[in-house]
Amino acid sequence: MPKIENPLLLSFYAYYVDKILSETSNIDEANQKLRDLGREIGQQIYLNTEIVEKTKDNVTTREDVSKLIEVVYKVLYNKKPTDVDMKTARGSVRISDNDCVWCQEVNLEGMRGFGYCEIFSGILESILEFKSVDAKVFQEMCRATGADICVWNVRLG
Amino acid sequence: MSKDLERALSKLRFDDQVLGYSLMTKVGRPFVSFAFPDELFPRVQNSIQLYKKDLRLMTIDTDKGLVVLSPVDDNWILTVLYVPELQLGLAIAKTKNVLRLLEGIELPPPPEEFDESSDSNLQVLESIAVNASSVEDTPDAPSPVSESSSATTEELSPDDFSVSPSTTPIRGPDYSKALSLNSELYSEMKKIYRNFGFDVLMLVDGTNNIESIADSMFQPTDRVIDLLKWGATKSIITVPRFQEGTEDTKSGDGGSIGRYVKCPKFEGNLSKVSGDDINIIRLCDGKQTQEQIAKATGLPIPRVVQTLAKYRKLGLKMIGRTIK
Repeated sequence: MPKIENPLLLSFYAYYVDKILSETSNIDEANQKLRDLGREIGQQIYLNTEIVEKTKDNVTTREDVSKLIEVVYKVLYNKKPTDVDMKTARGSVRISDNDCVWCQEVNLEGMRGFGYCEIFSGILESILEFKSVDAKVFQEMCRATGADICVWNVRLG
Repeated sequence: MSKDLERALSKLRFDDQVLGYSLMTKVGRPFVSFAFPDELFPRVQNSIQLYKKDLRLMTIDTDKGLVVLSPVDDNWILTVLYVPELQLGLAIAKTKNVLRLLEGIELPPPPEEFDESSDSNLQVLESIAVNASSVEDTPDAPSPVSESSSATTEELSPDDFSVSPSTTPIRGPDYSKALSLNSELYSEMKKIYRNFGFDVLMLVDGTNNIESIADSMFQPTDRVIDLLKWGATKSIITVPRFQEGTEDTKSGDGGSIGRYVKCPKFEGNLSKVSGDDINIIRLCDGKQTQEQIAKATGLPIPRVVQTLAKYRKLGLKMIGRTIK
């Protein structure tokens, strides 16, 4: 039996996802609502953690953004992302995680395109915003809907 | 898109220390060039060949000057020829500056056939980008269609059709026309959806519903729905029309994605399930909710939950899905 890390967090999150899915009429809207939720708690995270101390004041290059992502991962999940890819696409950074915290043991059928872990997009987007980085973050792949790995795209503005 | 590209390239054009430049495909075919000496192309191509995938920033010292090669993305390489006396570091910095300008621009892949170094190529690139973006931004995808359909009033718009993940599309009168490669309908579809349209239509056989089409293609359900709605306006496929007065389904069931439920599914060995529990576990096929199972067995819900929890370690999973 797989051991679920942080069941309290997951139960809360599953509750929110259920609620959002019951209130929205399409997948895009649900994804957006999860991102909005993430943006709202992003502020709390920024205030309550040592992300500020551990990152540079001026985040300008993609290397800085990738460093920041690693710090956020360390602070939130106490681990490193599986990969942070800055080279394949210009103007965006891709984060992949093959053991994402949010969608542990979640199996969704027939819901392709839904980003179960979109909350993290919102969290990261808001943290980047506090660091004055204009970026759009969205989930590209999600293990909950059948992918092998969770992938987020950070598109820098 | 091409405005940004032009701006980035014009930065090079008006730089006194730049003798010429060329935007090349990944195999080293010049696509857009400006004053780049032809005799240098073979040399640049050789260098690209040498590194192929691993090409990062590279400099080549030639008798014409200093050439800096740098990949823009997977498909494109920017090649700049600087005056010979320019410092290497400055040349690299200048190239990086232009790359930074290119960063926000998503360049489409090069067309299969093109005239090398032609000035009109910039427009070619622009038109590909326009098509590509109309495919990538799924919500916007049907907009060119709805525009055209509003122009000719008797045509149907994609919104006239009611399509949900559980809808099973069937082939329409123009189905085969859309799949024949020399038809107008095919080229229209290819223009808007590229090969995606063809792939989806191949799976329309009257038995697959949209959910399973999207699943087998690893594509978002919404994208498939968009395409099929478009297909319905062109009589390529047939799906139910949106009926006036059925609005209540929209609010009641949570609209087009349907109602989200979690259904237990048992994938373990049924022989390990003890006596009374078998009645519950046997119903865990991933299609019924806990409530439905409770109803079918006549047991209270807490009892069902108790039993489900007991079998998690033996292979019971909760499957989330949307039902209509």
